Amino acid sequence: MFFLRKYKTIIFIAVVLISVLVMISYNLKYGSADSFLEKIVLETASPVQKVLSGSIKGVRDAWMRYLFLVGLQEENKNLKKKINELNAVIVSYQESYQEAQRLKKLQYIADNSNYRFITARVIGREQAAISRTVMINKGSADGLKNGMPVVASPGLIGRLVDVSWHVSRVLLFIDENSNVDAIVQRNRTQGIISGAGSRGMILKYVSKTQDVQVGDIVVSSGMGGVFPKGWLIGQVIHIDRQDGGLFLKIYVAPFTDFSKLEEVMILSSDGTQMK
Amino acid sequence: MLYYLLLPILSILLIVLQSTVTDLIFSGRFIFEISLIVVVYAGFRLDLIKGTVLAFVLGLTFDCLNGSVTGVLTFLYIIVFWFSFFISEWLDTEKAHVILLFTLLCAFLKEIILNMFYYLAFNVNALPDVYGTIMLQALVIGLFAPLFFSLMDRTGIFIYEKKV
Repeated sequence: MFFLRKYKTIIFIAVVLISVLVMISYNLKYGSADSFLEKIVLETASPVQKVLSGSIKGVRDAWMRYLFLVGLQEENKNLKKKINELNAVIVSYQESYQEAQRLKKLQYIADNSNYRFITARVIGREQAAISRTVMINKGSADGLKNGMPVVASPGLIGRLVDVSWHVSRVLLFIDENSNVDAIVQRNRTQGIISGAGSRGMILKYVSKTQDVQVGDIVVSSGMGGVFPKGWLIGQVIHIDRQDGGLFLKIYVAPFTDFSKLEEVMILSSDGTQMK
Repeated sequence: MLYYLLLPILSILLIVLQSTVTDLIFSGRFIFEISLIVVVYAGFRLDLIKGTVLAFVLGLTFDCLNGSVTGVLTFLYIIVFWFSFFISEWLDTEKAHVILLFTLLCAFLKEIILNMFYYLAFNVNALPDVYGTIMLQALVIGLFAPLFFSLMDRTGIFIYEKKV
C-alpha cells in the first residue's frame, strides 16, 4: 500500500499510457467501427449536434436571406436608376424623332419650291387677346428683313414684323392686325384674310354672289408683293351669309396649329431670286 | 466529483461546438481545435490527475466523433497535456505571447505527429498536401489561445472569485 501511495502519480501515468496504447493497438488491428464506446459517444452527441446545427443553420439562413434582401434592394435601386436613365434616353429619342418629322415636313416644302429658305426655331410666343405673334431665333444678321413671309408645314403662317439682329417677331395670320390678300382655290374668288384670334381667320370682302363652299381651300393670291402666289393659308369652315351686308363672312381655319409651332422657315428671296 | 461527472458531457458539447464552428466559419478547410487549447490550458492551470483525465476524455470524445483510429487523439492530447504541465514550471504562463507561441507549437507538433502516425500506420502521406493548412491551423489556434486563456481566467474569477 505504501508503494502504491508513494508512486501514485507514476502508476497513474503508466496506467493511462498503457490503456491508450492498448486502445490504439486494438483499434488498429480490429478497427473501431463497432466500438461500444464510440456508439455511446455518437448517440450522446447526436441530439446536441442536431440542436446546434439547427440553430446555426437558422442563423445562417437568416443572415443569407438578409444578404439576399440587401442585394435585392441594391439591385432594385440600380434597376430603377437604369429605368430612369433609359426613360430619359427614350424621351430624348422621341423628341429627336418628332423634331426630325417636323423638319422633314419643312424640308418637303423647301424641296418643292424654288425659293430660298432660312430655318429658324421658335423661342417665344405672345398669345394675348389681340396679338398673336411668335419670336424666332434668327434676325437681320441671318439675312432676315421686315415683311418676309414665314412658312410652316404645310403653308404660310405669317410675316416678319420686327427684325432685330438675332431675334425676330412673326405676325401670325390669326393676329387681328394681319391682312393678307387671298383667293379661294376652287373658283379663284378673291378676298382679304384677316386674323380673328382664337376663331382663326376671316375671309372678307367676298360678294354674296360668289360660290364659296365649306371645305374650299384658301391660298395666297400673290398680290401686294409680300407673299408668293398659291401657298396654302387655310380651309373654309363656315360661311355666314349676313342679311344686311353685301359680303359674305367666311371663316377660315389655318392648316397649321399655331400653338404647336417649333420650327419655321422664312422665305428669304422672292420668285425672281431662285435658289 | 462533479468535475468528473460533467467532464464527458462538456467534452461532447465542446467537440460538437468546435466542429460546427469550423464548418460554419472555415467551411471545413481546417479544424478550429478549441479542445487543444483547453488541454494546454489544463496543462498550465490544473493538477496532473484532473488534467490527464480531461485530456483523456476530450481526446477520446474527439476520436469517437472524428471517426479516426480511437485512441490516437487521446494519446496525443495526453502527451500535449503532460508536455504543457511539465513545461509550465519553467514558463511564465500568464504572458500572452508565451501562451500564443506554446499553443502554436503544440498544435503544429500534434498535427505533425498525427500525420506521421497515419503515414506509418496506413502509408498515407498527407503531409505535403496539408503542410500550409497545418501551419495556418496552428497559427489560428495560437492566436486564439491568449483570448481563451483570458476568458477562462475571468470566468474562474467570476465564479470562484479567485484564479482557477
